[in-house]
Parts: sequence; structure tokens; C-alpha cells
Amino acid sequence: MTNPRETAWRVFATELNSAAYEIKAEEEKKPSYVVSRLGAYINRVLLAGVLTEKENVGSDDEPMWRGRVLDSTAGTFFINVGKFQPEASAAMSTLEVPCRVAIVGKVRTYNADDGKVWISVRPERIVQIDENTQNEWLLDTAKSTWKRLIDMKKAINQADRSPEGLMAAGLGEISAKGVSIAIEQYGMPESALYLKTIQSALRILLPEKNVDLGIPGDLADAPEEIDLEPEASEGDSEDKENIVLQLLKELDTEGKGAARDELEDAAAEKGISPMELEEITGALLDKGQIYEPNLRYLRLI
Amino acid sequence: MDTSDNMDLTPIIQELYAALDGKVTEEILRKELEKYLVTYKTGVTIAKDSIIRKYRNNRQSGTALNNTAVTKKIAELEGTEMIVTVVAKMIFVEKKDVVIKNVPKTIISGIAADDTGTAPFTIWSDMGDFQKGQVYTFKNAYTRTYKDQVQINVGIRGKVEPNDEVHFDLPNSSANGTSGGISSATDMAIGDITEQTKNLNVKGVVSEIQSRTINVKGEEKTVWGGIIADQSGKVQFTSWNDFGLKEGETLYVKNAYIRAWRGIPQLNMGDRTTVERIEESITAVGSGPTKKTVEDVMKVGGGLDLSITGTIVDIRTGSGLIKRCPNCNRSVLNNTCAQHGEVEPVLDLRLKLTVDDGTGAISVIINRADTEKITGMTLDQAINLSKEKGDMNIVANKMGSTLLMKKITVTGNIMSDDFGPQMNARTAEIGSTDVIAEAEELYKEVEGSL
Repeated sequence: MTNPRETAWRVFATELNSAAYEIKAEEEKKPSYVVSRLGAYINRVLLAGVLTEKENVGSDDEPMWRGRVLDSTAGTFFINVGKFQPEASAAMSTLEVPCRVAIVGKVRTYNADDGKVWISVRPERIVQIDENTQNEWLLDTAKSTWKRLIDMKKAINQADRSPEGLMAAGLGEISAKGVSIAIEQYGMPESALYLKTIQSALRILLPEKNVDLGIPGDLADAPEEIDLEPEASEGDSEDKENIVLQLLKELDTEGKGAARDELEDAAAEKGISPMELEEITGALLDKGQIYEPNLRYLRLI
Repeated sequence: MDTSDNMDLTPIIQELYAALDGKVTEEILRKELEKYLVTYKTGVTIAKDSIIRKYRNNRQSGTALNNTAVTKKIAELEGTEMIVTVVAKMIFVEKKDVVIKNVPKTIISGIAADDTGTAPFTIWSDMGDFQKGQVYTFKNAYTRTYKDQVQINVGIRGKVEPNDEVHFDLPNSSANGTSGGISSATDMAIGDITEQTKNLNVKGVVSEIQSRTINVKGEEKTVWGGIIADQSGKVQFTSWNDFGLKEGETLYVKNAYIRAWRGIPQLNMGDRTTVERIEESITAVGSGPTKKTVEDVMKVGGGLDLSITGTIVDIRTGSGLIKRCPNCNRSVLNNTCAQHGEVEPVLDLRLKLTVDDGTGAISVIINRADTEKITGMTLDQAINLSKEKGDMNIVANKMGSTLLMKKITVTGNIMSDDFGPQMNARTAEIGSTDVIAEAEELYKEVEGSL
């Protein structure tokens, strides 16, 4: 009955970016989730690190920020801030890279042509933090990653890996659900990859200690970085560009172009979100295929 | 319990048919219901409410409902009944003075039992005096589900009448837990008590006790209240009989029962309860708060004197410099109090935070003293700042930029309502985590298990 606030998961970028399985909301206004390979059942994340890049890919009036946040364990979070996150957007415009930030946000997925799932975070809040706060996050995230590794280990030794079976084996309700799905979707996780993130975090937190968990430093390079530049999903965006061009044509009934709000509605019906539409029209404006006769209208050239 | 496409709608349709006094055909009701459930997926409760409201307006108003309400056993109740009759024995009943939407009101609540199970009930007006142990007919009641438990409600359309024709031989203890009969009392760790717990036995140490006098049906009665604790947690108790309890005693309490108030379970010792003094040495949790994760708390629904450590992920509206009514202390907007009209408000500081510990999120309200402490901004400074900028919101914004994403440890009682768990913090502290010590501990643990 009650819809409690979604938990902000503490995950390193390595774990978040490796997620490829998404549970889409079946109803409007219900949350979607991605399941990580360690069974984190994620809608929202809390992350901290160094904002290394920021770029406004929108306009001055309607900024669309992209950025990268390095989590200090060799993983990178990709973030996207649009007009529907006014507070985060305002913060992005004033932050100077590089700087330490903490972000609470929702996880979004993008499907590339080759079937690969790209993960990005859409911040609700982004604030500049000090080193101590970042260290607190590293500790929390290392602990939470370790807990998932333990739960995963318990689950793998279990004959019944259904959520009920895993709860009987002592996992909490949410862990049992996530871990059960993760094993089914991905099989056994490569635990060394995640232990390595814990090792990196502990090395930062305990510089005096010479932390060594026996994970070779060169094990698996930094996780594949995703590139949210348009070419990453060119095929997909080209299709959608064509859809938008077609809509612009259809909606231009009086020769003065298509009203933006009508276009937004029509695009939504084709499965293009207002955020995506913004990106697509931005790209089309850049390419000179469309223009703005005035602020509220778009028209084919 | 939610909508599935091939759910049998017949019982719901019959119920609606009865609730609408047969004025709407079953055929129409089926169509309406399918629209709500299948096309719009509203869920059963909303569908029923909406359909009743829609067609009740069309009636030639005023006719009292006749006795067409379906009669159900407690175990058959689904928690979505709009109108239902239940015959059950009151195994506990009390009057309560509550304030609903600023209006003080006397309500009657308790636990009803029949031969299939037990359910809490609430009569939302003072309908007179009811006897514990008497069987009553709850006519034209409705049900709701709270925390997976069905509750019987009697509103203005309802009636509760003694029923001397029906007798229940309620077992004092029955073999299996919650579903059949009154659940048997089992030994429980105090920390495992949830608001759904029914009868139970606990062993623990009385850490606080006071007597107070209450008014039951016009008679003065003394009850004892306090806190009992074991190594797993602590719980508030109320003893309705004089067991001669003293602080520091170790007890084995048998056949107590739990009633929860907004998620906080309370242990009750009544007529069937026995108390033994035992020698067993129990290390009760200290006088300090019990450390919990939000996930732990959500499982129970709430709790007493808990400590939560998490990250401040949001500072909500109503934080910072606020205005309060000088008479009732409620926060007011535009100098108008909901109860006292136009007032000269008093300024105050407060924080409404969302604290997330990675297992869940909880809403925390922090009072002026702790707000001043953790933000470093006093009320006077806040007033000056807002005057200077001509904007009260500047205070909340400023506090937000100092506090967001910081770790905080808060202690207090946690209650749950429709908006989830919330705490009125008794203490609040920023940055009390010893990162190095905890990192060393984690390192040891990880290294040790590899």
C-alpha cells in the first residue's frame, strides 16, 4: 500500500556498469530497476567521487549536462542532468571540474544496437563534498559490496535459489530477490573484480596499512567505459531522428512548424521520452535539418 | 491480493450489489469493475470505493442500509470489504481519546476473535460501553489492511450490538500460529517482536516502571507502564494488573500480547498473563539506544529508542526557519493557524531530513537545539540572514549545502504511517563515524575469509 522511498544503493561504478538486466515498470509511475551482477536491486544510487568532466550538450536556456564521476576505485559513473532535475542542473552549472561530489540519483539504461546496455545516473541532488565525506562513502560502499559478495556466496551453495529459498538461507528480502535474479541472469559473478574494488577502497582509507587482498592490480582493466556521445548509439538515434523528422512533418499543419508541446506528446507515443527528444532535436538543429522559427516551434528546413 | 486478469469477481460484485441495496444490476457492476481493475488497474479497494461513490450519488438518498451486508468469518476477511458483518467476541477493548484532523474524539478499539482468527477493530465514535468477553455483531463494518493485517472498522454507517446467541469456545492456546484460533504464546526475543506479533512469552529485565491512573468506564484504575529489555532489544509495556513489578527485576512473562501504536509494538500484560521472577542472568541492552538498520526497522514497523546512522540524501520542504502558532505550536503558513486563525507567529528552526543508510530511507525531524548544533547556525543568525535577504528559504538552502550527503546518527522512537517510517530525533550527530577503525575492521573480515 505504502510506496516507501527507494533505497539509495551504495555501489562502485564497476558493479553498476556491469549491470545489464533491467526490470521495467509495468505501470506508469512505478519504478524500474536494474539488477547488478552481485544482486543489487537498484532504482536509486548514492555515489561519490571526482567529477572529472562536464559538458552542456543542451542550450544556455535549457541546459543538458553530461558528466563523468571517477569513484577512486578505477570506475567511472556517467551522469546526465536535464531540465527535469532543476536543482542538480543548477549545481552542475556552478561546479568547476575537477571537484569532489556526491550524487543521489536514479539509474537509467540505454540499449545500444549490439544489445549492450549502457548505464547512466540521472542526479536528483549533486553537491560538492570534502575528502572525509568521500571516504565515508568509500567505506559504506566497500562494506555494502562485501555484504553482497557474502550473500552471493551463500546463495551459490544453495540448492533452492528462488527468492524464498534464499530467504530461508538467511538473506534479507531484497537481497534474496536481487541475488536470485542475478544468478539466473548472469550466472556466477567474477568475484575478483569486485574484491578488487574493495581492495582499492581500503588502500585509500588505510594508506599506512599496505592493504593486500591478493588481487593482482592488473586484473581486468578498468571496466569498459561507456561513451554517451551520440555515436555510441548512432543506429538507434538515427531511427529516432527519422521518427522525429516524420512527426515534425505531420504536425506542421499550418506551415509555421510543429509546436514543441505537441511534438513532445506525439514523440512520447512513439516511445521517445521528453529527455531523449531534447537530445534528438538538439542533434537535428546542429545538423541543420531543422530550425526554430520561434521558441515554441520547430520546423523542417 | 492485487488485481489479476482472471480473478473471480463474483464475490466483489455481490458485495457491491449489497452495498448499493441492489439498485444497480450485477451486469453493470461487472462492467464497471472490469473497467477499473482490468483497463485501469486501480486495485480492488479503489475500484470498490469509486463504484460505490459513483452510484450512491444517483440514489434517492437517505435510505438506511438494510441488512444485506455479507456476513463473514474473520479468516475470510480480505481487507477490502466496503460493507460486511462480523460476529466476534471482544477479547480486548478500550476507549481512546484521539485527535483526528484537529477534532478531539473518543474512539473504541480492541481485538475481536471468532473461531477462525483474530483481528483488531476500531469503532470510530463513542458508541457506548463494550464488555471484554462478550460476543458482538459488527454490522455494516468495513475493513482495511494495514501492514498485512486486516482491520475491522465501524464507521457512521455501522452498528455494534451484543449477540447472545453465538458462543465461541476460544482456545486458550492452539497448536498453530497465526491463522487458526488465537495464536499460542511462544517464547520470543524482544528484538523480534513486530506489530503483528500476537500472544507471546518474554524473558527480560524491567528497566523502568511507573504507575498511572486512568479512567476506564468512569472508574479510576491503576495501570503500570515501563520498559522491559533483553539482549536483543527493549519494548514498552503496560500492565493492567498489579504484578508488584519493580525496577531491576528479571521476569519471565507468559501470555502477554502485543498492541502496536503507529508501528511501535507495546507489550501488554492482562488477565491471562502470568509473571515469574527468575534467576537467569540476562544482559539487557544498555540504557542507550539500540543500533538498527532501516531495513530492520521496516520489518517491525517501528521501535523504541533506536539509533540509525545514514546519509542525509534530502532536505525537505518545511526545513529551516519556520513559523509556529503561539498557542498550539503547530507550524503555520501565511500567519494563519488551522485552529487559531490569524496569529502572530513565533519563529523556530527545524529540519526535515531524509536519511538513507543503504538498506532503506527514513524521514527524520530534528528540533531547534540539534538543528543549531549540526548546522552551526543559531535561530538569531537565521532570522538575521532571512531579513538580510528578504527570504526565509535562504536558511533552508544554506543548511542544505552544509548537510547534504553528510553522515548523521540520529536516535529516537520510530513510527510508521502511510508515508513510511519516521523519527522525531531526540539526538542528532554529524560525522561520528570512525572511518579508519571501521575500515580496519572490514579489512580484517575480508582478509580472514579469503
